[in-house]
Amino acid sequence: MLSLWLRRLSIDRIVRSRKHETSTPLVVTGKRGNVEVLTAADDAARRLGLTPGLALAQARAMHPGIDVVAEDVETDTALLDSIADWCLRYTPLVACDMPDGLLLDISGCAHLYGGERELIADLSGRLEKSGFAYSLAIAGTIGSAWAAARYGEPASYACGEERSVLAPLPLSALRLPPPTVASLARVGLKRIGDIVNLPRAPLTARFGSDVLRQLDRALGHEHEPLTPRLPVAPYVTEQRFPEPIAREEDVLAVTVRLARRLQSALERGGDGARRIELSLFRTDGVVRRIAAGTSRPLRNPGDIQALFVERLAALADALDPGFGFDMVRLSVLVAEPCPPEQIGIAGGEDAAEFCRLIDRLSARLGPRRVCRLVAQDSHIPELAETALPAQAVNGDAGWSTFRRYRSEVDLPPRPLRLLARPEPIEAVAEVPDGPPLRFRWRRALHEVIAAEGPERIEGIWWSEHGGPARDYFRVEDKSGLRFWLFRAGLYRDLSDGAGAPAWFLHGTFA
Amino acid sequence: MIEQLRQRLQALQKTPGVEGRPGTLPFGIPVIDTMLGGGLTRSALHEIAATGEAHLPATAGFALAVAKRAAPSPRLFWVSEDMAFAESGLPHGAGLDALGLAPEQLVMVSATHRRDLLWAMEEALRCGAITVVIGEMRAGAIDSVAIRRLSLAAVESGTLALLLRTEPPNDASTAVTRWIVGAMPSTTSGAPRVAVQIVRNRRGPTGTWILEWSDSDGQFILATHAQPLAAPALDRPHRQVA
Repeated sequence: MLSLWLRRLSIDRIVRSRKHETSTPLVVTGKRGNVEVLTAADDAARRLGLTPGLALAQARAMHPGIDVVAEDVETDTALLDSIADWCLRYTPLVACDMPDGLLLDISGCAHLYGGERELIADLSGRLEKSGFAYSLAIAGTIGSAWAAARYGEPASYACGEERSVLAPLPLSALRLPPPTVASLARVGLKRIGDIVNLPRAPLTARFGSDVLRQLDRALGHEHEPLTPRLPVAPYVTEQRFPEPIAREEDVLAVTVRLARRLQSALERGGDGARRIELSLFRTDGVVRRIAAGTSRPLRNPGDIQALFVERLAALADALDPGFGFDMVRLSVLVAEPCPPEQIGIAGGEDAAEFCRLIDRLSARLGPRRVCRLVAQDSHIPELAETALPAQAVNGDAGWSTFRRYRSEVDLPPRPLRLLARPEPIEAVAEVPDGPPLRFRWRRALHEVIAAEGPERIEGIWWSEHGGPARDYFRVEDKSGLRFWLFRAGLYRDLSDGAGAPAWFLHGTFA
Repeated sequence: MIEQLRQRLQALQKTPGVEGRPGTLPFGIPVIDTMLGGGLTRSALHEIAATGEAHLPATAGFALAVAKRAAPSPRLFWVSEDMAFAESGLPHGAGLDALGLAPEQLVMVSATHRRDLLWAMEEALRCGAITVVIGEMRAGAIDSVAIRRLSLAAVESGTLALLLRTEPPNDASTAVTRWIVGAMPSTTSGAPRVAVQIVRNRRGPTGTWILEWSDSDGQFILATHAQPLAAPALDRPHRQVA
């Protein structure tokens, strides 16, 4: 377990964003309770005795010349997230340790860098180049790595010797709340070594179970789960480059090579990819993640490449390579069982071609823009069908059930196009329950010459918010335009105190 | 040598749409079919414009009726601009079903830009697994190069491409036919009627008719003898066109 502590995260962020260096002491302030206090201070400010926790007014009184910046927690979190993304190059299991740390589960990954010490060297080299103050430690458990990173020797390495590393550290290194630490200090227990050999029962009785649980976790007697920031992909393959690549063609060529490797892994597992992500690691630490979905489990490298051709085209110039990418990773985020490929069976080729088209369009325009109609189990016209992303719809989408229903009940004519929500119209009817004589829709007046109806569609009467019953009419105006409109509410229900029935236009006929 | 090059040039210069693969979609109305040389060319681009924006539903209905003739259960691609779906409404599955089209075969694509719309149409046309591609366009000129590309794609894959437009265009186009369709008041029978006009036809003649949708036949039938009442010139055997 590797714990990384960026001890001056917000200060480093501000310094990095500035164009030129200044020697003015820099502090970051935020409101705690009713007081504006320092939340972070750079080295120059610390030398002046300005430590986090000090009230801003007091700090200003001591040193009027300091540079004060308001804290920005959201940007700090975003920065931490992007560093976490970048750390994905070391291991897929990266967790954010708020507010300014990261936890990396590097078990089984360190040998890729030639060992844990080499991995530390690589990580620290890159962090130093980017201008972050950090301290890190590797240990067998989350708790001991955390403690060693914050309170131990810099870049310490404590696998298998947690007990001796932890013993001299203060109790706050156990991630205990400050009141507990204070009350332990009151009875003379200041270091972890002080409580390791104490009888457990009195300690729990007096200070709560938290103390011993944290100690057990740090020593590895109790398991502590790590919650990765991103779900771990079932299939991952990656390629590192000694010389960074920048051209789009190169990225695509690498994608095909990675896809070929994925293909054999997917075949072994009997899976196909439903959602694929391409991560591009830029040399300066920015990670670009591009995901694409598919409409059926996919294995073919050519198809996978075609998806990313569209995704990159949709990005236009946004694939900013900077000084180039030094690592490319292709991961299957969602895999689904997929039967072995069959080739050359008549009809199958057409369906595959169709799926490829859907995937290509969805990748370029976005999955929500490529839709298919799905019949729903409702009698309210606007709820009877919905448009869902075509990638998510399989089979006949409920329409065979609809056809059976239609043949049974002899459904009256339905419009060719239905408005997303009924639009209110001003209508004049000859008799209260009859069709309108004329109506105004979108500022145009339509004289009705023929009408058919009503077709009564009851509201959802079992629900309070079901809406009133509707009387639908099929009307034709003077110029031959045909509309589907309805009166919401019936005159028989007027006595209930509801408003007068209103007219709506819901669709158009061919 | 020069003769050879000339021949090659001629082969490359063939106008898209006309010398496509054989295959036409007859309307089942002799007058129109003869005028089109047997019916609508299957692997080609056709423009269908509404007489005005209000008549768009009738135009869409006509286009779908044409699409229905392409196959018993055509795989339909309906590409449209965002605003078009918002203003005119999404195609309604129950309505399509009543027209005899299978709603599960319909894929709707909404594009933000005209550029995306044309791209999506071209991709669908080149795919080969689609029977009919309908592109719905609001007012405004369209790139003639894009139209030409669509025509070529339709010819190559043998897919029927229909371009719906909200108002009668008068720009040049490589489309094989251009139709103007508007709704007409129905008679006492209540069957929907449309006024159909061919304003451009690669094969020559043009004409105007009033068609009536016949629910029992599931197709349009000729409602009137619109002008011209005399038989068109091409019916004379010694003056056969093409």
